[in-house]
Amino acid sequence: MAGYTREVARRVFAQEFRESDLTYKDGDDQYAPHYLLTPTGARVNRMFIVGTLVEKEDIGSDSEYWRGRVIDPTGSFMIYAGQYQPEAAQVLAECETPAFVSIVGKPSTYTTGEGDVLTSVRPESIFVVDGQTRDLWVADTAKRTLERLKKFDNGSNDTAKAREHYDPDPKRYYSMVSQALRSLKETF
Amino acid sequence: MKEISQDINARFLELGVEIPVGDIEERLDKMVNKFKVPKEEARRSVINYFLKEYNIPRDEFYPSRSEGLKQISELSTDGEWVNLKAKVVQLWENTHESISQVGLIGDETGIIKFTKWENAELPDIEDGQVYLFRNVIVKEWSGKFQVNLNKSSSIERLAEDLDTGASAGKFASAMGESESPRKKVSELNADGQWVSVKAKVVQLWENSHESISQVGLIGDETGTIKFTKWASAELPDIEEGKSYLFRNVVTNEWNGKFQVDLNKSSSIESIDEDMEVGTSTTTFTGAMVDIQSGSGLIKRCPECNRALTKGACMEHGKVDGIYDLRIKAVMDDGITTQDAIIKRDVAEQITGLTLENAIALAADALDQGVVLEQMKKVLVGKYYTISGTRLDRYLLVDSIDELEFLDQKELDELINAAEAV
Repeated sequence: MAGYTREVARRVFAQEFRESDLTYKDGDDQYAPHYLLTPTGARVNRMFIVGTLVEKEDIGSDSEYWRGRVIDPTGSFMIYAGQYQPEAAQVLAECETPAFVSIVGKPSTYTTGEGDVLTSVRPESIFVVDGQTRDLWVADTAKRTLERLKKFDNGSNDTAKAREHYDPDPKRYYSMVSQALRSLKETF
Repeated sequence: MKEISQDINARFLELGVEIPVGDIEERLDKMVNKFKVPKEEARRSVINYFLKEYNIPRDEFYPSRSEGLKQISELSTDGEWVNLKAKVVQLWENTHESISQVGLIGDETGIIKFTKWENAELPDIEDGQVYLFRNVIVKEWSGKFQVNLNKSSSIERLAEDLDTGASAGKFASAMGESESPRKKVSELNADGQWVSVKAKVVQLWENSHESISQVGLIGDETGTIKFTKWASAELPDIEEGKSYLFRNVVTNEWNGKFQVDLNKSSSIESIDEDMEVGTSTTTFTGAMVDIQSGSGLIKRCPECNRALTKGACMEHGKVDGIYDLRIKAVMDDGITTQDAIIKRDVAEQITGLTLENAIALAADALDQGVVLEQMKKVLVGKYYTISGTRLDRYLLVDSIDELEFLDQKELDELINAAEAV
């Protein structure tokens, strides 16, 4: 496939992900990728998360459909895996909670009857990892978030779009990052 | 013909003499078609004829040599018509049929590229000769200036010499008589760089085109690069395993990759030294986000070592394959992704799964896929630093290390950065 490049797995904290509700398509082509644009301007088609799986439940009626809640220092991600994510669903079925898990997945949004947008993650893969990997992810995600905040005034297309839609207060996200990083200090 | 006639007519008008275009054309036509005089020569002779006819001193018609002459260092206006007195510093390979000659001319102040168009029908100029170039036009192309010699230009050979030595030095980056800057292979990362490289011939490839004399890979301790030696360069053949000093070769980018071309301006000098050819090592740190199909326990063709698909080799068909372990991993640092290929020894070390264990595991499960599953379970979703050599979009991994500790100093720096605002 000429010109195909794999979508980068973005690093976004749960709080920022939860506050995201702007989706768009890059082009009119039916295969054009969908993106979720976050308040700090991350353009997410794929994401990488490492956190603590604290709850899991099979909410499917006919076939298995797993819902899990994964915690990071700033909040929680909802993940959903069914028959189309067989590998991820199997891991969810077999693993114990709580457990540190790493997830590579696609962001997904759902608009409620009241018009609220709920974000969740459709995992491509889930694996059980150790606490060290989770700490590395927090630092990694902090670093990438700080980079986005730093570039927020440079006015790329994405940040301009994010500004216009969210009108975010960068200070809130700086303090989110600092809180996440401080939590790593406490564990030592 | 008409154009030249009108040109001459216009020039004479400036001197207050009107010569009917028809007269000029008639005379010109006679010279060119009947007497087979080259156009440029015909033009001069026609002009001289009418100068005599109307009793105009030659000096009045031709702008005086110092007046109207520009120095090469002054050429900085796109579209400006100028007269130059310059020496032919170098003639280049002609790349296009519409170009008659191309190369460098220079005077005391500088050196500039010139292009003489085929349809200008000007006489050929010679290396090392000084000429008076009249009515040449200055052109800018991607920030650089050159002069074009076209139909309205004229060339007059002068019997004097010009010292271009000083300016040749200034032009070293675009070569000239002095040697282009010496570079290491790993530094060849811009298009159109003229450089000299000391390198060993790593591989000679099969030659695919008659215009190419030799093609292959050369390398030094910093890496390897493809080279193409053009047939028209008329350079001596080089041998695999020997080292050479390649002078005045030019880099060339194609599809994001660099190579060097050896052309007429290049030279090759054999050196009696065995060079170590290194491979440039690339390092990437990030999370392993995927292991792709074609990984795990695979079989390779005993003939050509290609991985088999469904028990068959693309080249040799159904063969009795040899087991091997391989991991095609996707690394991702949140900014970019990097495809990586991990060979058996490194794969065994990082997964703790030997080839023998893997074969046994697959035999137990009656499924090769369990090996891949096992590898994913061990590797995916964790952070690693990999290093190795780059091949196309892949990084061929020589070493892989799991990141095990969060660097406290980096953590403190991140906290400072987050709280400085």
